[in-house]
Amino acid sequence: MSAPGGVRQPSVARARTAAPGTGVARPRRAVRYAQYAALLCYLAFLGLPLLWLLSTAFKPPRELGSAAPELLPAHPTLGNFAAAFDEQPLLRSGLNSLTVAGCAALLSVAVAVPASYVLARRRTLPARATSGWIVAGQLFPLVLVIVPLFMVLRQLRLVDSLGGLVAVYVVWNLPFALWMLRGYVRAVPPALEEAAAVDGCGRLRTLRSVVLPLLAPGVVATLMFSFVAAWNEFFFALVLLKSPEKQTISVLLTRFTGAEGAADLGPLAAASLLATLPSLVFFALLQRRLAGALSAGAVKG
Amino acid sequence: MRRRTLLRAALTAAAAAAPLPLTGCGPRGTDARPGLDYLSLAWQKESVDANKALVAAWNAAHPHTPVRYLQGSWESVHDQLLTSFEGGSAPDVIHDEAGDLTDFAHGGYLTDLRPLLPERLNSAIPQRTWRTARIGGGLYGVPFLQEPRVLVADRRLLRRAGIRLPTVRRPWDWAEFEAAARALTRDRGGGRGRRYGVAWAMKEPVSQSVNLALSTGGRVFHRAGGRDVVRFGPRDSAVAELIHRQVHRDRTAAPSGLGMSGSDVLPGFFAGRYAMVPLNFSYRQQVHQQAPEGFDWVTLPLPAGNRGGRGAGGSGPHGGRAQGVSPQTLSIARDCRHKRAAMEFVAFLTGARQLVRLARGDWLVPTATAALAAPALHTERYGWRTGTESARHLVASPVLGVRGYQEWLDKIATPAFQEYYADGIALRELRGRLVEDGNRVLARYQR
Amino acid sequence: MPEERVRARAGLRLPRSRRAGATDASAPSAPDSASDSSGRPARTSARTSARTSARTSVPPPRTARDRRRALGLDAGAWFLLLPALLPILVLSVGPLLYGMSLAFTDAQAGRTDPTRFTGLANFADLRLDPLFWDSFRVGLVWAVSVTVLQFALALGLALLLDQNLRFRWLARTLALVPWAMPQVVVGELWRLVYHQDAGLLNTTLRGLHLLDHNAGWLTSPSLALPAVIVVGVWAGLPQTTVVLLAGLQNVPRELHESAALDGAGAWRRMRAVTWPALRPVAVAIASLDLIWNINSFGLVYVLTQGGPGGQTRLPMLFAYEEAFRYGQYGYAAAMGLVLVAAVALLLAVFLRSRLRPYEEEGGVR
Repeated sequence: MSAPGGVRQPSVARARTAAPGTGVARPRRAVRYAQYAALLCYLAFLGLPLLWLLSTAFKPPRELGSAAPELLPAHPTLGNFAAAFDEQPLLRSGLNSLTVAGCAALLSVAVAVPASYVLARRRTLPARATSGWIVAGQLFPLVLVIVPLFMVLRQLRLVDSLGGLVAVYVVWNLPFALWMLRGYVRAVPPALEEAAAVDGCGRLRTLRSVVLPLLAPGVVATLMFSFVAAWNEFFFALVLLKSPEKQTISVLLTRFTGAEGAADLGPLAAASLLATLPSLVFFALLQRRLAGALSAGAVKG
Repeated sequence: MRRRTLLRAALTAAAAAAPLPLTGCGPRGTDARPGLDYLSLAWQKESVDANKALVAAWNAAHPHTPVRYLQGSWESVHDQLLTSFEGGSAPDVIHDEAGDLTDFAHGGYLTDLRPLLPERLNSAIPQRTWRTARIGGGLYGVPFLQEPRVLVADRRLLRRAGIRLPTVRRPWDWAEFEAAARALTRDRGGGRGRRYGVAWAMKEPVSQSVNLALSTGGRVFHRAGGRDVVRFGPRDSAVAELIHRQVHRDRTAAPSGLGMSGSDVLPGFFAGRYAMVPLNFSYRQQVHQQAPEGFDWVTLPLPAGNRGGRGAGGSGPHGGRAQGVSPQTLSIARDCRHKRAAMEFVAFLTGARQLVRLARGDWLVPTATAALAAPALHTERYGWRTGTESARHLVASPVLGVRGYQEWLDKIATPAFQEYYADGIALRELRGRLVEDGNRVLARYQR
Repeated sequence: MPEERVRARAGLRLPRSRRAGATDASAPSAPDSASDSSGRPARTSARTSARTSARTSVPPPRTARDRRRALGLDAGAWFLLLPALLPILVLSVGPLLYGMSLAFTDAQAGRTDPTRFTGLANFADLRLDPLFWDSFRVGLVWAVSVTVLQFALALGLALLLDQNLRFRWLARTLALVPWAMPQVVVGELWRLVYHQDAGLLNTTLRGLHLLDHNAGWLTSPSLALPAVIVVGVWAGLPQTTVVLLAGLQNVPRELHESAALDGAGAWRRMRAVTWPALRPVAVAIASLDLIWNINSFGLVYVLTQGGPGGQTRLPMLFAYEEAFRYGQYGYAAAMGLVLVAAVALLLAVFLRSRLRPYEEEGGVR
């Protein structure tokens, strides 16, 4: 039952009870309690396993073998962190992961923005073919492509190099990046570009000064997705990198487990926490922008 | 305005930074490099340190063939090796376990070591251990560390029940084991639940069941007419039947253990819920690390055969003490360009003194006879003596060298054994699946 | 108006013909337009807007370039497309095609057996393989359950986060944490939670007296798949929540207000106002989630390795085992192709029924 047109004038009585900015009456107290309860359930579901990881990271080995585990460690220790740093080159691999993920994210955007512009504006054969590839590429199991991909990289002499890994990540992130940015480009009215052309702008200048600013939220979203995907990725990194100084952190985490599920739980938990941190920081920085970014791209895409 | 310049700056930075990782880590002309890549699977701190120290010692003494230490992980080593082999960039010296070598050897990725093997290395390791790395007539690895399965028990509980502690020279037989388990099982009262005499950690049931079949004279995998076939007669199934009996009839074995791996049973063991747990030898390290203060644990040998009674084992020189193992091996890739140097490095790593060091780092038992005699490995503390003394009864696991074993394991044996131990199917059904379906799978690989 | 802002930034003047609101008909709402008063989500596709603008615009002056077009694109467009196209062809399309072509051969690991073309033999074998169809069933159950649950929970969470509750910032941060964790960590973490003797779940449930013995969550054949589904939902919740939350925030306040003024209760408002506005977003993220969930197996691999007794063996996991553990590349590739075909079919059916009224919007392409 939506009314046509814009906002009507709310009556004075209604205005007194309305929540600020919405014009809708504040929900009853019972409903509010229910909402808080529901939120608490969500927080428990999402947060408790993480708390468990946190507590495991600070527990000494004796407590890890206990049959009556407590949420809070009885004798918290930093020994696991020390052991984790001692056993594996966490700092070095963290830097590697950061480099790879950062470059992959930035390059994804740099490559996807112009391409999505072309794909959105022109409905031609390359555009349709690319759309088909976007779907097919995400459906075929990645693991079956690894060996041919490895051989291609070997021909290009990019095996055991961080650059090769970045290239692979960029290419395999492109389907999502193109899908997302294409929607954003479609949202930019062509009238703007026409006008820019009339005023004598070259294609590139138009792209840079007219289209790009409107894509900023979509760019932010693509950056986030690409960064996280590259940071967390394990299989490609495992098979493509050989030298110890080039390892990424997701591969490093598997070194804390031995055969048949034996694991150094304490250092593993400590290292896992450290491996999660950079993504969280990245999220925190971009969180606000993300909200506006994703919806429009999804709608238009 | 700010957004646009920030974006532009970011893109420029990307363009500037992108070449850095590309150039800094480009191809190293690996073809011309005289060094060797050594992929090690050591993951415990002492073991990693021992490996790295040995590599450093080698590099100091042999500056012309430096060795680069690469670390892998047990969980992913097969995938990693397969891809590197297929892609043509495999490491030169490979640390793996004997069971994993079958497919690589048949695929032509590993060097046959027979022409390269120095005599002193050949004589240092017993023939029955060499057999673990013999695949299709060739020798594809140097077995250097092996892991028997032992019984870790709560000594206090055993003493209280008046049970004789077995030794390697005078082990229990399976009947005594069952009696001991019965004596140790009791209801603890006070709402603390039941204490079980034993907890069989059967998350991966197949290798245990097959390797233990040797103690009752069975093998499960037999060679007939030049091909590998599966048989599951009474001697092959005696131990499996025993486990099933203990869980479901006598109720002396914990049903919860059936889905647990080795480290999963430890919390219950420390809490007194299980009196004895059969574990691999290296798990003693976790027991040592996680056991509560004053917990008195002891390492006992597994039972050996059945005197009289069902599946009377004890055929051959081992008297039922035989146990199948799949040792850790060092192999050389066929694509390696410096095979002689690689062989020398392997011989260096498996010299007696170095082997003792590696064994202690990994809490495993060495294979070389000289290393087995080292006093450091014969201490009573942490049960080292049990392991080294039972080393002379460790033979090649029947599953080694069988083509198609992996598929049999995943598709047929593991589900079948899991269902059998959970009392979902009867022994006859288990036998039918293992033998009939199993031989069909194996036949496909041996055409 | 947003266009004016952009043009001003670009240092361009808006031609007089454009200033008099002629753009209303052709302009879909820009992403950050807070003052958009049309109240409807964009309903014009690029095609429609191009047509409209063509009617009213001045022809572009670059006629020379128009004459030189390859495949419908001129040199400038190729210049923009090439940096993406080249790596895609080399690193993605090439290996994909090669990987797919293996389905028609008997390719195996190892150098000793030559690869021969075998046509449809692999597919014939696949048709008769009961284990594959078992894993297919498990995969469908898994993908549909995880997607539906993920969507339902994410919608609920998004609705909650849209409200003016306290600690909203905490909930928002926590919602993103599962996303930040590498899959290996998530797997290990939940293994610890589900541990039979020392896990968080059993301890909590026993503490609350809801359970009297330690349940084997990952080891019992009947509990394993549900347990693993819960983990799948947990891991994928952040992405879906964020997308839905953004979609919700794009629904203009005026609509809610006018509906409330007309006396519509919360549920009515939800059905009539929120859902229609959210629908394109919801369909888009749901289908993307379905694709991602069908493909994911890393999580399940760490938790159960496909056990117990094959109850959690997802089809992708099965394909991985065929390729990497048994070395049967050809057979695994055939499996992959069958899965692609099945999922594409599923999606086509699902999207066609959802999108028919929205075809002109170009909802999901």
